[in-house]
Amino acid sequence: QEVDMQAQADQIRTVFSDPANFNVKHPLFSAWTLWFDSPSTKGRNLPQTPMSAFPQTPGAQTPGAVGGGWMDDIKRVINFDSVEEFWGLYNNIIPPSQLPQKANYYLFKEGIIPAWEDEANKYGGKWSIQLPKDKNRPHVDRMWLFTMLAAIGETFDPSPNGNVNDSLITGVIVSTRPQFYRLSIWTRLAPGGAEDDAKLRERIEAVGRHFKMQVLGYQEVQRLAGPLATEVEFQSHKDSEKKGKSVRKIVV
Amino acid sequence: ATPTSNAADLGKRPRPGPLDLTAAKTSRQSSLSTARNIVDINGVKYPEGISSPRPELNENAKPGHFRYDRDFLLQFMAICKEKPPSLPPLDAIGLEPIDQATLMMSRGGSGR
Repeated sequence: QEVDMQAQADQIRTVFSDPANFNVKHPLFSAWTLWFDSPSTKGRNLPQTPMSAFPQTPGAQTPGAVGGGWMDDIKRVINFDSVEEFWGLYNNIIPPSQLPQKANYYLFKEGIIPAWEDEANKYGGKWSIQLPKDKNRPHVDRMWLFTMLAAIGETFDPSPNGNVNDSLITGVIVSTRPQFYRLSIWTRLAPGGAEDDAKLRERIEAVGRHFKMQVLGYQEVQRLAGPLATEVEFQSHKDSEKKGKSVRKIVV
Repeated sequence: ATPTSNAADLGKRPRPGPLDLTAAKTSRQSSLSTARNIVDINGVKYPEGISSPRPELNENAKPGHFRYDRDFLLQFMAICKEKPPSLPPLDAIGLEPIDQATLMMSRGGSGR
């Protein structure tokens, strides 16, 4: 099968110029995996589980989860690596506002398990915001969409230049609870207390500001905490484990 | 016919077929599986009315590792509607809209 390279170069057809017969697609900075869990995924034994897709997570306990069986209950929905595939998924899946209570979508870079003990997450942390459900039901779908677009478009952290591992972002999560929604951005690293962390801290804070203003649409000075609501705040996963003790949070 | 033979047929076709929705559906799926990745993102020409990704996002981009701004990405929403072939049936993974889920819970719950 001979291919005339020059003719092909002259005949790039995107989905915009020919939705039925496009011949190029837009690759994403990274490939992504969407995971899902809810009370109704628990105890289901289905072919597409993380246990069959990845080596077993180490250790008996999964931090932040109910015992070691947590990864049994989280289902891998799909992998994708192009803009076109993302929208095909988006247009055929249930938005957060229609999810049952105690459900989570986890959109993580392919090969990274949405758990603290994954190599890519264990030195990291997360930006998160909690939003009262009644007031935010009309907004949560757009907020989650914009969060996913910033993640797959790789615009949260402007530093990386082509090297996937340079990017701070490992994944994003939306959680539905009886009274609130939570949106989270997981990062590969978290600033400690040391002086030489100033640059990393700056980078992490830039992610938080982008999340608060460009993605969620709040003003920089706006204060958000209230009943069932939090500020946009960052916590390292290590600090999250020390429940009850005073932990350092970054707030934007 | 299998999707593979469809794709081959379509590749030889000199012009897009008539506006038959069944054909469009099939060919779009095979387009996604046969389309190549764009190599030079700043060299792509889009039809009038479609904006390119903001060029500064990809100044030092390595081929295949591109960044896209939200406004660029949103332009695909109304066009790329085809269900991905690799998407499992949602109810098979317990992913059901809230009404169905509560219905099922009340059905299976108290054994009325």
